[in-house]
Amino acid sequence: MADAKTLRVLIVDDEAPARALVREYLGAHADIEVVGECANGFEAVKAVSEHAPDLMFLDVQMPKLTGFEVLELLDPAPAVVFCTAYDEFALKAFEVHAVDYLLKPFGRDRLAEALGRVRERLAASGAGTAAAVAPPETSATPAAPTAPSAAALSAAARAPGQFAERLMVRDGALVHVIPIEKLDYVEAQDDYVAIHAEGKSWLKHQTLADLEQSLDPARFVRVHRSYVVNVERIARIEPYAKDSRVAILHDGRELPVSRGGYQRLRERM
Amino acid sequence: MHPLLTRRVWLGPYVLAWLLAGLLLAEFLRLIGPLPVSHAHAFAVPAMLVCGFVVLSAWWACRRYPLVSTPPLKVLSGQIGVALQASAVWAVGSLLWELVLVRLGDSVVMRADILRNFGVLFLIGIPLYLLSAVVHYLVLAFEAAHEAERRVLESQVSTREAEVRALRAQLNPHFLFNSLNSINSLVGSDPEGARRMCEGLGDFLRRTLALAARDSVALSEELALVERYLAIEKVRFGERLGIERRVDESALGCRVPPLLLQPLVENAIKHGVSGRLEGGVVRIEARREGARLGIVVENPVDEDAPARAGAGVGLENVRRRLEAFGAEEARLDAVREPGVFRVLLTLPARDSETEGSRG
Repeated sequence: MADAKTLRVLIVDDEAPARALVREYLGAHADIEVVGECANGFEAVKAVSEHAPDLMFLDVQMPKLTGFEVLELLDPAPAVVFCTAYDEFALKAFEVHAVDYLLKPFGRDRLAEALGRVRERLAASGAGTAAAVAPPETSATPAAPTAPSAAALSAAARAPGQFAERLMVRDGALVHVIPIEKLDYVEAQDDYVAIHAEGKSWLKHQTLADLEQSLDPARFVRVHRSYVVNVERIARIEPYAKDSRVAILHDGRELPVSRGGYQRLRERM
Repeated sequence: MHPLLTRRVWLGPYVLAWLLAGLLLAEFLRLIGPLPVSHAHAFAVPAMLVCGFVVLSAWWACRRYPLVSTPPLKVLSGQIGVALQASAVWAVGSLLWELVLVRLGDSVVMRADILRNFGVLFLIGIPLYLLSAVVHYLVLAFEAAHEAERRVLESQVSTREAEVRALRAQLNPHFLFNSLNSINSLVGSDPEGARRMCEGLGDFLRRTLALAARDSVALSEELALVERYLAIEKVRFGERLGIERRVDESALGCRVPPLLLQPLVENAIKHGVSGRLEGGVVRIEARREGARLGIVVENPVDEDAPARAGAGVGLENVRRRLEAFGAEEARLDAVREPGVFRVLLTLPARDSETEGSRG
């Protein structure tokens, strides 16, 4: 390879033999440095912020966080090569701009091929942001490498046609998983959303519109330009001023309700 | 061909019965008119024997006027029409036979007697035919019921075959892919372990196919299969997968449908243990309580994990297997408690004598 830069690699798989295999295969490549192995998504998120690897070999089905959910939490994310026994995630993988998709069991040559692709994409994107690589199928038409949007990532993290069952929030190296039924309401704050659940709140870098899309419209209603609320949490709605109302939650908190928001609420309740 | 004519076993008694009826007819004819004994017998016995075959025509008539799909009036008029024809043919045939007898001159018979005999035969021919029609309708109804039963049985057999096919699909290819990947890894780090795993995988697959071909297996065989399955998964999950077995000695001989437990244990790993950071223990319990066999497969689940969509398919498969096993008292209960998923199976405790196998 022309680009002799050493690739810093993270291996993420919940099965020790699977990690050992990738490590063994990588041992044959002199310009690869394995910076860590992770047995689950939490460790992976932490390790990426600590080591900032260029490349991540990522399993899909892992405890707590799936590979896609890990990616959703990483910004910027390293280049990703998925390793899984399931072929049904391949489409999704390329939606989130994975460089390659290795089906277990795979051999040395297949992994070397994936590494070649990673180097190509890294070189093309200017050796910087590694996530910006196009799927191999579309590589014939060299599309401008762009990072996948947060919406695409979170859409990929859930099954097609389904709504999110939990939200992931990152707090430094810590990851919070918030089951959707514990969510009270979400509030827009500039480029962030504040997620309120169980009396606590977390900030996430995402727009309210993106987040709203991943939520089941039968359970979550946008009552105001800046608020999406869990319908079950609403105790009552009272008039506030001319044309506007206020939703009072079971815990006493008050959220503004716009005219359009009131319409949507009435449709759903 | 009438079924009676193809079954020799029934033909003999049938002919004999009509011969006896012929003797009765002869006595009857002698009662109502002066007839020589020898003539009465020579006339009535063959006539009655022929009658026995003439009334079999009801078999065709009954199929032409099936009870279920024909209006009753049409059945009645149709059958009476056939009765009149059959009786007329028979009476005329008998008349000709009587004339032959008289011509042969064995005895003196009055013309009035011959005409009276003709009339009597025509009159008794009608109820005899109708009686035959009733018997034929009964036989046809019996046959239809039999046929329906056979069809039900056939559909049951095909359902069971479908179960077995579904079951083979249940032998998840991803399990194989992941196992091959583990072997691939071991080849480098632990060649002896790789060999052991190849052996274990081969043994597991062979046993699965062998058990699937049978109607029922001893619980001990089923547990041995599960044991091999767990040994393979243990290589993948290492310390994260724990196994706890509590099986009563008395339960080991009980018959269970084959491949009953393996899908449950697979579910326990796939939807339970593998979803937890720290892994967990799969608990298998089997106990015999009187006439019942109780089996429990239990695994810890991640509190935060949503109920996964795929979990129900495996359970449904097992439930249908229980039904196909023919045990109506058999039950499957799935309970999700905080942090624990438990499947309880209840089966009748049958011992090994009643084993059957399928080719």
